[in-house]
Amino acid sequence: MSRRRNKRFDPRRGQAGITMTSLMDILTTLLLFVLKSFVIEGEAVTPVPGVTLPESTSLAVAQSAVVIAIFDDVVMMEGEVVATVSKASRSRDLFIEPLAARLEEAREKSLEIARLRGESEEEFMGKVSIQGDREIHFAILQRVMYTCSQSGFENIALAVIESSS
Amino acid sequence: MSMYARRSSRHVVDGQLELMPLMNVFVALIPMLLLSAVFIKISVIDLSAPPTAESDADRDNKPKLALAVTIKDDYFVVEGDRIQKRVIVRAQENAEEQLSGALGEIVAQYPDNHEIMIISQAKTKYEDIISVMDISRDAGLPSVSLLGAD
Repeated sequence: MSRRRNKRFDPRRGQAGITMTSLMDILTTLLLFVLKSFVIEGEAVTPVPGVTLPESTSLAVAQSAVVIAIFDDVVMMEGEVVATVSKASRSRDLFIEPLAARLEEAREKSLEIARLRGESEEEFMGKVSIQGDREIHFAILQRVMYTCSQSGFENIALAVIESSS
Repeated sequence: MSMYARRSSRHVVDGQLELMPLMNVFVALIPMLLLSAVFIKISVIDLSAPPTAESDADRDNKPKLALAVTIKDDYFVVEGDRIQKRVIVRAQENAEEQLSGALGEIVAQYPDNHEIMIISQAKTKYEDIISVMDISRDAGLPSVSLLGAD
């Protein structure tokens, strides 16, 4: 015991050594765990806070797209509240104006980027990913989907949690 | 050089590994990987646009099946052209198996058809729609379109 102590701290040398083996073990385990959950294919999609996505057996990989989240009483696009569920659902019109305006902005931005990159405007895919809470009703989903397709975003994907079964 | 010479003369071996560079690599690598790590795996369900009269006309003259599942508050209704209408009570324990079986029979009867319409009510829960979509896809009807009842 005294020899071990002497090895770590030698008062004559005035140096203290830290045993790092245990820390290295932790870091190695953590590194392996994190590497296992590393995403190589597709896009790493993070659910919008507040949304409890439904579970599904679908295995389709999420692609990069404009994200619209619907939960509680809000419709969010790219992290900003654009409409309320209660107001949109009450309306007889399926078209949600504020959402359409934001989608139009996103579309113009996307087309501008395509122009700057020298791509043709026809390559605009109009992809949108809807992250809906499992408790929302079809009425609001229908309105959001209708608004998306009317605004040129016709590739609609519904985000779900991949169920283990 | 003189230090090594002195050590070897005394037969003292310092067995400590120089772990600091490795630690530095780990400290840089772990936060980077943590940022891109996914703990909840999210997938998507791609939707197709509901079939229109024009798209029907473009196809060859095969009559369309127009297979539809209507989700009502208490029951599922499976119907379509040339298909006997089936009503499945949702309160039953095996309602989903029954729906899966009914769709499976239709797929076996009409293997060319891959399309199905899911007709929902305004108050139908999103979770229930996703569940019916899963059943349809598993039964062999991957091309799902969503429609409103009104």
